[in-house]
Amino acid sequence: MSFLSIQKLDKRYGTTSIFTGIDCEIARGEFVTLLGPSGCGKSTLLRCIAGLTDVSGGRILVDGQDIVPLPPQKRGIGMVFQSYALFPNMTAAQNVAFGLRMQKVGKTESDKRVVDALAMVELGEFAARYPSQLSGGQCQRVALARSLVTRPRLLLLDEPLSALDARIRKLLREQIRGIQQELGLTTIFVTHDQEEALTMSDRIFLMNAGQIVQSGDAETLYTAPVDAFAAGFIGNYNLLDACVAEALLRRTMTCRIAIRPEAIGFGGDIDAQIKGHSLLGNVIRYRVEARGVELVVDVLNRSAADLHATGTLVGLSIDDSAIREVA
Amino acid sequence: MSTKPAALYHRIVVWALFAMLLLPLLGTFLYSISTSWSATVLPDGLTLKWYIQLWTEPRFLNAFLQSILVCVGALLLATVLILPLLFVVHYHFPKLDGLMNVLILLPFAVPPVVSSVGLLQLYGSGPLAMTGTPWILVGCYFTIALPFMYRAITNNLLAINIRDLMDAAHLLGASTWKAALLVILPNLRKGLVVSLLLSFSFLFAEFVFANLLVGTRYETLQVYLNNMRNSSGHFSSALVISYFFFVLMFTWIANRLNRDRG
Amino acid sequence: MTVNPAPSDTTAALPTPNLPKPRSSRRWLPLLCLAPFAVFFVAFQIAPLFWVAINSAIAEGGWSLANYERVFSSRFYRQAMQFSLEITVWSSVLGLLFAVIGSYSLRQVDSKVRDFVMAFSNMTSNFTGVPLAFAFVIILGFNGALTLVLKQYGLLSDFNLYSKTGLIVVYTYFQIPLGVLLLYPAFDALRDDWRESASLLGASALRYWWHIGLPVLTPALLGTFVILLANALGAYATVYALTTGNFNVMPIRIAALVAGDINLDPNLASALSMVLVGMMVVFTAAHQWLLKRSYHVH
Repeated sequence: MSFLSIQKLDKRYGTTSIFTGIDCEIARGEFVTLLGPSGCGKSTLLRCIAGLTDVSGGRILVDGQDIVPLPPQKRGIGMVFQSYALFPNMTAAQNVAFGLRMQKVGKTESDKRVVDALAMVELGEFAARYPSQLSGGQCQRVALARSLVTRPRLLLLDEPLSALDARIRKLLREQIRGIQQELGLTTIFVTHDQEEALTMSDRIFLMNAGQIVQSGDAETLYTAPVDAFAAGFIGNYNLLDACVAEALLRRTMTCRIAIRPEAIGFGGDIDAQIKGHSLLGNVIRYRVEARGVELVVDVLNRSAADLHATGTLVGLSIDDSAIREVA
Repeated sequence: MSTKPAALYHRIVVWALFAMLLLPLLGTFLYSISTSWSATVLPDGLTLKWYIQLWTEPRFLNAFLQSILVCVGALLLATVLILPLLFVVHYHFPKLDGLMNVLILLPFAVPPVVSSVGLLQLYGSGPLAMTGTPWILVGCYFTIALPFMYRAITNNLLAINIRDLMDAAHLLGASTWKAALLVILPNLRKGLVVSLLLSFSFLFAEFVFANLLVGTRYETLQVYLNNMRNSSGHFSSALVISYFFFVLMFTWIANRLNRDRG
Repeated sequence: MTVNPAPSDTTAALPTPNLPKPRSSRRWLPLLCLAPFAVFFVAFQIAPLFWVAINSAIAEGGWSLANYERVFSSRFYRQAMQFSLEITVWSSVLGLLFAVIGSYSLRQVDSKVRDFVMAFSNMTSNFTGVPLAFAFVIILGFNGALTLVLKQYGLLSDFNLYSKTGLIVVYTYFQIPLGVLLLYPAFDALRDDWRESASLLGASALRYWWHIGLPVLTPALLGTFVILLANALGAYATVYALTTGNFNVMPIRIAALVAGDINLDPNLASALSMVLVGMMVVFTAAHQWLLKRSYHVH
């Protein structure tokens, strides 16, 4: 039996529906990501699980118990916010201790648990600092410690990395995942960043317009998008309508196809011309035109000598197995 | 723009502004420490006797104390009424903020002299008779302080993310009451203190309500000052300067606190 | 005081989550917190105004416009309106002018001087009413020091502090600090790089002010002007203390009709009050109209 089970969950504001009939099952200790564009309902779903937003219908079972009638205080859920939501009037240690204070945990034990929690996020020496004296990354680590110290049965992360700069984001990503695995904590992570989703999660729920479009592990989502939205949102798929695809591949196509840019290689029999390129670190992304079709092609950046100048004529090969038909 | 003549011009303007604002105070101050001063450009001699006379005058000390009592009472009332209001408006009914911003214009748009007309009739007699008592001043002064305190503390509230802080506190097990008390209120302390100090300094200067609604039955400092207009000008000057110094102290503390913010 | 309705854990098996009780209590408890404020605000702000509005239209025991007729047909009250408006407009225009010149220069001097003068200006904004009247009597009264100096040099032949001109001077004095307080932040919002990019695009200083500086400042100028108008129009303490209630402006007339020694007439006072409030409304409406036609930030 799954640890968290969401059944037919609905959320409406007046007549506007945010999502309807959401079903999902999450196993104990799993790290699950809700991925989707802004406004797709993922954050609202998270807030419904936390009890911060009322649901309009459906059930949320944790360990077989429906938590929908419970106020947020009694759900045993920890949450980290995009804005950190650290209490500005309290030091890092006081912030972390707040939840224990509410549970009336004794001072000796509370002190010990606060020290442990801050050590876990490697902020032991910052215990006496106020949030305004900490960097964004440090604030978010304090917030993480604060949500973990009460030993929640479920951890919710609402775009916790979106306000941070790229380097800190990568470090914190690994730290969060490490702590989660160490504690075996069931975690739901909300993001609009596909790279975060792909690198951190056991499983990804891809959401669009209040629906779960596709779920599965990173590999499945990346290589087998179920529809045009999934293909468009994950990776930089070349999406081609059936008639365009026919012109390119010279065979009969019944539906839209998606081709990953790295599945197209140079040195084949499809005549093409380079229209431009951009350098993405170890990858060069070319814009090419082949048989009247614009394509994006990613190749590894081995040496500057390999670079094809704009206007160069090249041949392309497309790996058949990489051509996905999408609805 | 940093050419010399321009810089000189701006410095002259600023000091002229300062001189203009200072002049009446300086004149009053000189008058208050002079033995006598009439029909000459400068006073005849200097003395502190007016201050001694003032600060040993029981009626003055009484008026001073009564002013402080009324202002402190009004600010206590305002704090008790406005803090829950702000919390409820910003946390539960953010849309009410628009209505509040219109309502708090009323104390500006309706001059005290107009309100006094209605207040005198409504509370002059009958079950709610309170003209001639300090209680009516406490109520009126609350409305004067309201727009200022509401705006100042609202700015303070907008600087913290009240919704996320409340959500976080709820998830950590705090009730709404506890969260408001432990998490939100401490962050409003500075805005509250600054707005209280500044409100005090302008409530202390209030004359219209005090004179029209209460008069000599509970004499405040401003009313006393007005009633003293036929006494020695030197004495009144010592009174004006003492009053201004007291208010200055409050504004100065408020300004200092305000600058330390953030 | 908690808002959470917290049914016990035994409700866990309930299939439907929407118990009506939590929803309603979540609404009425916070609303109840608003009640004390509402009571006091109504008692001391709304009710008096309401009383004034109603009673201005009651004369001799029935609904009537007689009070308004009396106000507008009396030369005495018409003069009060005229004097009130003259003093208000002149002191606001002059106050705004000084505040603009002062704020602009304040922005250009070094921060130490600026902070000091700003702090002093803020403090003097509380120097109004009775103490201000006293101070002016001392320096600009018939035997005031400044009057004597100016008379000595023949600069001031017949200045009278207790006249309309005298009142405009006193009012302007208390308008200036308020104007600086309100306007300075707007000048601070004028960014130096706007001027720099305008001059790189070939605009002269004059054209910069005409096309950028002035439009950006307009809302603040209008807003400040309206507040100065309201401030002067309702002012009572200064003129009362200066002329012992003998100068004919509207606040003095209103007060005399409800708290004077003779001729008490609250209904007539109400009509005069409504005329005063009406003037405020006209100022504010004109402000809103002008603001809509000007540039604004959002």
